[in-house]
Amino acid sequence: MRRSRLISGTPGAPGIAVGPAWHYRAAVPAAPAAGAGRGDGKSAKKPGTKEAVAAIETAVAGAVAQLESLAGSLSAAGRADEAGIFEAQALMASDPALLDAALARARGGETAELAVRAATETAASTIAALPDELLASRAADVRDVGARIVRILAGEDVAPPERPSIAVADDLPPSVAAAIPPGLLLGIAQESGSTTSHTVILARALGIPAVVGATGLVEASTDAITLAIDGEAGTVAVDPDLPQLAYLAERAKHLDSRRQAAAALRVRPAATSDGHRIVLLANIGGPDEASRALQAGAEGIGLFRTEFLYMKRQTAPSEDDQVEPYRRVFATFGPDRPVVIRLADIGGDKALPYLDLPAEANPAMGVRAIRLGATHSDLLAAQLRAIWRAAGLAGVIPRVMAPMVATLADVELLRELRDEARAAVAESGHPLPERMITGVMIEIPSAAILAAEIARRVDFFSIGTNDLTQYTLAADRSNPALAHLQDALHPAVLRLVAGVIEGAAGAGIPTAVCGELAGDPAGALVLAGLGITELSADAGSLDDVRAALAGVTKGQLDELGRRSLAAAGATAVRAMAGELLRPRAGTGRA
Amino acid sequence: MLTARVKVGNPSGLHARPAATFVKAAAAFRSQITIENLTSGSAPANAKSLLAVLGCGISRGHRIRIVVDGEDEAAALESLESLARGGFGELADR
Repeated sequence: MRRSRLISGTPGAPGIAVGPAWHYRAAVPAAPAAGAGRGDGKSAKKPGTKEAVAAIETAVAGAVAQLESLAGSLSAAGRADEAGIFEAQALMASDPALLDAALARARGGETAELAVRAATETAASTIAALPDELLASRAADVRDVGARIVRILAGEDVAPPERPSIAVADDLPPSVAAAIPPGLLLGIAQESGSTTSHTVILARALGIPAVVGATGLVEASTDAITLAIDGEAGTVAVDPDLPQLAYLAERAKHLDSRRQAAAALRVRPAATSDGHRIVLLANIGGPDEASRALQAGAEGIGLFRTEFLYMKRQTAPSEDDQVEPYRRVFATFGPDRPVVIRLADIGGDKALPYLDLPAEANPAMGVRAIRLGATHSDLLAAQLRAIWRAAGLAGVIPRVMAPMVATLADVELLRELRDEARAAVAESGHPLPERMITGVMIEIPSAAILAAEIARRVDFFSIGTNDLTQYTLAADRSNPALAHLQDALHPAVLRLVAGVIEGAAGAGIPTAVCGELAGDPAGALVLAGLGITELSADAGSLDDVRAALAGVTKGQLDELGRRSLAAAGATAVRAMAGELLRPRAGTGRA
Repeated sequence: MLTARVKVGNPSGLHARPAATFVKAAAAFRSQITIENLTSGSAPANAKSLLAVLGCGISRGHRIRIVVDGEDEAAALESLESLARGGFGELADR
């Protein structure tokens, strides 16, 4: 009978996995000291130098190609965040400074492998020494890139595990983790590494458990038959005994039932315990996020940010560029679930090269979003035409809202641009939906004050609590010194919200909230108490909000709404909401 | 030679992805381009090298200086400065 051993580390990604160990070791064994390498190199200089230079150039090109293809396939699979990791690694691999350093060493007589290792290690150690922990942790990516180039030089490739396994490593490179086919990687356990490492982020994205910082793990598990990792407790059991396995099975069952409970809530529309319905929608920043929103139980998209189409480019996106991304999201949600597209909120602090706007002293209050309609109407017109066309192709009635609306004139501009765009699309012969449900974001106090008048000219309101708070309290959102003035639960903001709801109700139009407050369980309760019936938040927050709503009655919400308006400050409102949240364990962050 | 100073406003500073965005943009120009961290006093680094840019250790709130020198320096500075002021392609949640 094998001795079981429990090693404690740090939780990386949640979940429980039991399976055989698959050991990953850096392809190249511990390098000889750099000095020795140089010495060896000198003697081998004559025949080797040219070959070494050529080999490095070929291997670097190969690594760049591998990383770009990895990024491409992740991106195609809708995993844009992970794709970004490898895009950055591809850029590191093709870094002129790295290549020059490696080539200089090779010309100086080092072998190709040593030259690459030394050059990447120099770059990695510079980054590792940075005081900013997040930046310093990127050193692992540099080393990963170096190891990849060396693997290519050595003609080695990492063979993936033959059966579903738990990967054990000192520090598993993200590229290796990502290259293991899904299904063969049950979990990740490593001796070092940080919880912010890309490998851990990848594990979370893949939904597999990970434990980092498990000291002694590699040695202890060398001959292990079975490993059991608990990604929440941060433990690794090497050859677990029967009681340990039984305990873990029990925990796995518990975690599973917790997940199922959340999933069970997802199939029912969100409501209070006495059946008052609240529509939960998701905020997305691109078409790739739509399916995740559906899985999280979103009844639609309450905020589809479109800035992704405008960033990272030198020229404005054309009408044709935009049709397909909009059509994809419309098609994902179909005709019965709303998708609200927000017109581009660009300009201001999101200056773009092709906008050619003068620098502003106070960009948050500057020329951005609908305000560009006066000087850059072609930009908004192209976007509106693309939305008309995408909705015509998908067979849905589109919903569109304009950000930064301050006045009735802004509303008129929006309606004009919308109608002109429709006429242009009709003329070009593309299929058209019969109408466009047109709303505005209420995020500027003037618009909140004018809610009753604006409501008569639009089809819906969506309150952006982040900006409404910054403008109401005159507290710059990006200034941490004013954090105490940035809580959207401030009664001044809540009174504006209550006035907006009243103005909307007078015209018979609905009011949604799509700011961060909607995804905060305490905030969601207060907003529902004020009479908001649609909340839109990031998909990851929906479970918490749904659980918070299920734990209260309509009467409790109404009372919370009333009391919050009369409260002395945001802290007092949070305390009131907290009283309703506290009895429910596990409702989250409030 | 043209220079611009910018305060970095995106949430996690110039970490891998925003730095990559910046480096890719810089690489599109012929001018010599350097970036330096005025807050920490780093040496000017080649803005076309991701490793060099990461090595400047630029965190949120740090001031940076971008220096461009070459035939397309005006266009390069305009593009890179607006990218920096726009949060390096990273969107703040709005």
